[in-house]
Amino acid sequence: MTDSTGVKRRDFLKVLGAGTAATTMLGCGSEQVEKLIPYLVSPDQTVPGVSTYYATTCRECAAGCGVIAETRDGRTIKLEGNPDHPVNRGALCARGQSALQGLYNPDRYRRPMARRGGALVSVTWDEALRLFAQKLGETRSRGAAANALFINQHETGSFPGFLDAWLAGFGMPAHLSYDAGGEHAVVAANRQSYGTGWPRLDFKAARLVVSFGADFLDTWGAVVPQQLDFADARADAERAPRLVYVGPRRSLTGLNADQWIDCRPGGELALVRLLAGQTSAEEAAATSGVNASVLAAFAREFTDTTPSMVLAGGGGSTALEIALAVGALNQSRGNVGVTIKPAEGYLGFEGMSAPAELRAAAERMNSGGVSLLMVRGANPVFSLPKAVGFGAAMAKVPFKVSFSSYPDETSELADLILPDHHPLEQWGDAEPVRGTLSLQQPTMDPVFDTRATSDVLIALAKRDPSAAARYPLPDYRSWLTSRFPGGATALTASLPRALASGSLGGSATPRPIPASRIPAAIEQSSGNMFLVVYPHPLIGDGRGANKPWLQEIPDPVTKICWQTVAEMNPATADRMGFANGDHVTVRTAAGSITLPVLRYPGVQRDTVAIATGRGHQHSGRYAKAGLNPLEILPANEDRAGGVAYVSTRAEVTRASGHSPIVTTEGSPRQHGRGIGRAVTLAELRTSATAHDAGAANATEVAPQGDAAEAAPQAGGHGPAPAGGSGHGAPVAGDASHEFLPGLRAPVANDAQGEQGDPRSNEKGMYDPNHWSGMAKRRWAMTVDLARCTGCSACVTACYAENNIPTVGADWQHGPVMPDRTGFGANIVRSREMAWIRIERYYEGGEDGSADFETRFVPMMCQHCGNAPCEPVCPVYATYHAPDGLNVQVYNRCVGTRYCSNNCPYKVRYFNWYGYGEPNRSQYAFPEPLNWQLNPDVTVRGKGVMEKCTFCVQRIREAENRAASEKRPLQTDEFTTACAASCPSRAITFGDAADENWTVTQMARDARAYHVFEELNTYTAVVYLKKVSHPTAGSPVSQ
Amino acid sequence: MNLRSGWLAVPGFICIAALATMLSAYSGASSSEGYAPEQPVAFRHTIHVDTLKMNCLYCHFSANRSPDPGLPAVGTCMGCHTVVAGSSPGNKAEIQKLAAYWNKKEPVPWVRIHKLPEYVHFPHMRHVNAGVTCQTCHGDVQKMKTVYQASSLNMGWCVNCHIGQSNPPFRARYDCASCHY
Repeated sequence: MTDSTGVKRRDFLKVLGAGTAATTMLGCGSEQVEKLIPYLVSPDQTVPGVSTYYATTCRECAAGCGVIAETRDGRTIKLEGNPDHPVNRGALCARGQSALQGLYNPDRYRRPMARRGGALVSVTWDEALRLFAQKLGETRSRGAAANALFINQHETGSFPGFLDAWLAGFGMPAHLSYDAGGEHAVVAANRQSYGTGWPRLDFKAARLVVSFGADFLDTWGAVVPQQLDFADARADAERAPRLVYVGPRRSLTGLNADQWIDCRPGGELALVRLLAGQTSAEEAAATSGVNASVLAAFAREFTDTTPSMVLAGGGGSTALEIALAVGALNQSRGNVGVTIKPAEGYLGFEGMSAPAELRAAAERMNSGGVSLLMVRGANPVFSLPKAVGFGAAMAKVPFKVSFSSYPDETSELADLILPDHHPLEQWGDAEPVRGTLSLQQPTMDPVFDTRATSDVLIALAKRDPSAAARYPLPDYRSWLTSRFPGGATALTASLPRALASGSLGGSATPRPIPASRIPAAIEQSSGNMFLVVYPHPLIGDGRGANKPWLQEIPDPVTKICWQTVAEMNPATADRMGFANGDHVTVRTAAGSITLPVLRYPGVQRDTVAIATGRGHQHSGRYAKAGLNPLEILPANEDRAGGVAYVSTRAEVTRASGHSPIVTTEGSPRQHGRGIGRAVTLAELRTSATAHDAGAANATEVAPQGDAAEAAPQAGGHGPAPAGGSGHGAPVAGDASHEFLPGLRAPVANDAQGEQGDPRSNEKGMYDPNHWSGMAKRRWAMTVDLARCTGCSACVTACYAENNIPTVGADWQHGPVMPDRTGFGANIVRSREMAWIRIERYYEGGEDGSADFETRFVPMMCQHCGNAPCEPVCPVYATYHAPDGLNVQVYNRCVGTRYCSNNCPYKVRYFNWYGYGEPNRSQYAFPEPLNWQLNPDVTVRGKGVMEKCTFCVQRIREAENRAASEKRPLQTDEFTTACAASCPSRAITFGDAADENWTVTQMARDARAYHVFEELNTYTAVVYLKKVSHPTAGSPVSQ
Repeated sequence: MNLRSGWLAVPGFICIAALATMLSAYSGASSSEGYAPEQPVAFRHTIHVDTLKMNCLYCHFSANRSPDPGLPAVGTCMGCHTVVAGSSPGNKAEIQKLAAYWNKKEPVPWVRIHKLPEYVHFPHMRHVNAGVTCQTCHGDVQKMKTVYQASSLNMGWCVNCHIGQSNPPFRARYDCASCHY
């Protein structure tokens, strides 16, 4: 030690001694006594540490998709689509994935509750049932049973029939089957035009799809099968249908369209008439505010193209008229039976009660005409426009019973709460398509002291001497079994797939269209902007609002999370002087809200758009984020009795204040970086010809060893495939295929060679001939942008699989920046946490025109062969594994964040707070959300960097399984969570060093490229360019 | 040591503490090797394994098919102990403790001895199926009157075996992401 530091040798040694002592004490003191609790009796068919899979039916929307629930040690930890199911064919959407956060929701009712002295207090089931039975008896003895009202969340299957029979047994009228997000006008019109409520849409057969606000990729009907069919159709570039979206706001479906006709609200009907040849382009232009020449070209294209498919939606006050006109148009164009297939329809949307019936019920309640109100699953107080006054009307009902599993605005007003099981805890069935019975079975024991409503109804009937005889069976399961075709044996036999053919007679009958409250034309309302209220694509009508995944995953369109914004066209915002985040007040006849502005080019210039779903008061801790536009929506209806979400103008004025926009987006533009690329069909055809010529050359020219030049021409190729598959010669896209993953990936050549002992030839496991064979593999992924719709199901699946914490709740930010508080504060500071994100870029339309194209790019760790993150890590916490994975070793990581700084893809995420540590306020998994955590994946602690692992736990699990069965890993034996859930089938994962894996075939596509190839990162993720179908003369591509 | 030099020593102290932590981890100073807690029932591996020659897999039933070795359910114990009451007074007393748990329908709250950190994934079946004996890692449990942790279970101890074997079936990968993910 030198004098210059002022520290003497003796002092240094003293400090050294103290340091050692301190660490030794820490080392010993951190041990905790942990218990090993065995089973009392081992359950059958389960092995600890090995998953059991139960097939069941998803009840997050009415479509009735099949899911496989992965259950580990008695807890359901992951949902995936059931590959055998006719509706979703193995895929699962974001809302389906998030059912788990409903099951383990920390705000769930834990036991029955009753209102005593104004407050809800816990009671036992016996007390609760006794109280309910007493009130039922009182209602009947007063002769008021006919005035009882039961509102059930709309579902298909045998429960609605069971419920009606139960109600009839007590002299009560049939229930209302309510779905706030239901497309009532479309269903009513479909039934009239096609004879079925929801036909199958055969996108493959269509050459042109025109959507009048029909958001078939967002929330409009059977979203998962529609997305599967749409992506399949679009993946076949030569036969892909062009999609034209007509409406005031580009939804997710609108962003996937090749052309957007930015029609003013209320102008859609004129455009349908234009297509039907009933009006001229000039007249339609005057009503819709769209340029007449655009409309003329649109009408010409429609007339010239067969078969086509025209879809109606949009939720305006003229929704039924539009849907009927569209039905007539499809019939006159011969599309019915060709592109629109009524015979293969989905049954999930039959039998919905229109919101007008609930409005009428609210009026009855107000006048004291309802003696007993029972609500199960639905939340009409929140999801109907506040102007309907459902909540206020409830106060006039003497006794209100809620069967809700969660606290919500409706159950908050109830007198008795009999919490229902979550759908993953109970028996049931659905009939999603004709002749297919989709079974619902419990995947685990109930989390809380809840009871299935079906069982509660049976128990109540048994208490009533007059009804008991009709319910000889102990519970609903026995009831189902007794009616099941083939009985108990057949039921048990069909449980592994949860599918059976036949019907339990549960098909709902269409309901008559009620009298509606039709508003005056939207043009006649007052205000400076049209108001468009639309359902949030992930949160929906508000049902998903208390699931932190759905709050945190950015809206696929706006990239907003945890926040409600007023979307305005940038041109309009400029005119009115609004920057992003400036507060505006949106005022209608029904009320006003103040919220920040988001400049979104996909909104028509005279329109302000606000998403529903957020802004709850009583639905739990996460649901408080945002605002609810239904508070300012007038109680208008369309002619089918559906809520008219687009029916009024609003006065938009500046308010004081400014909030940062809670978004994960950096820039909506690519700035020439070529992240999301596209080709037109014509370009694809030309390049295919060029590549064929190039491929011929490549067989003569030896592959170039130096792959550093990202030459876009097709000269350099990887080695020709041995044992060539039917896929033909290796065809290069613009990417030079040396960079494509494979045996020539540099990881096999130099990783250990450079970093190991330079004097040694020993490359260890990095030698492809090493006995472990690790370096023989190259895990890789392809993402087909022609298929990807940006729906974010992959993001949700990744959250579920990889224990990714949500970080945006308002108690999860740090104390150091008092100006950044509230929901999403961490995200405003760019401290988001998502291993895979969907980047959304606009191309064209810089001049403010509606003619812009959107590219969706799922972005995850690219597992570079030459990764910039690796050499900068001072502690070797990130390194390259021989099988091509860029590994992050959490226990080595000291949190310098150098790797994140050096990552060109910005896919590394840092644990700023202890999101995974239960004793911290920022803990992301409050009990029992932590029950969902995947035991195969480490829950990361504070100060640790993390990122996509290519689901390494699934790779290891497959390797372990193969080794246990003494066989090699099979081709396409497993896949990652994102690829498994993708309802577009855009993601393929596998071993790119093996010819037989699908990913290898995919990577040879002529559209293949790497993001930032010029950086020589040798990524393992290969993107396939989007194929765009612009109108003649549109500026697109590259 | 004046005040100024003391302040300068702080960064040095931190460096040294970090170094000492690393050293102690690698040397096994923070291992719980030898940990032998008292169990709620004094279960004798000596009698069951050494005397009665019961196979480990009878109770640890999933060690050859799961990452988790499996812990016998109380019902498994009672499968024999409804008829086996023990020969010595001491054993009788312990078996009665077990029966008491069973009669109360409560699981026996065993104290965990072997515990890897949560960022390590150890698949038991890969080791058992390769022919690594239980004793290789857990020591001669059949001879232990009270079970204790026989090995350090530190990473160096794992890796020594993973890199030290050259012949199948014992040779094993030593890539970080084999266990850490």
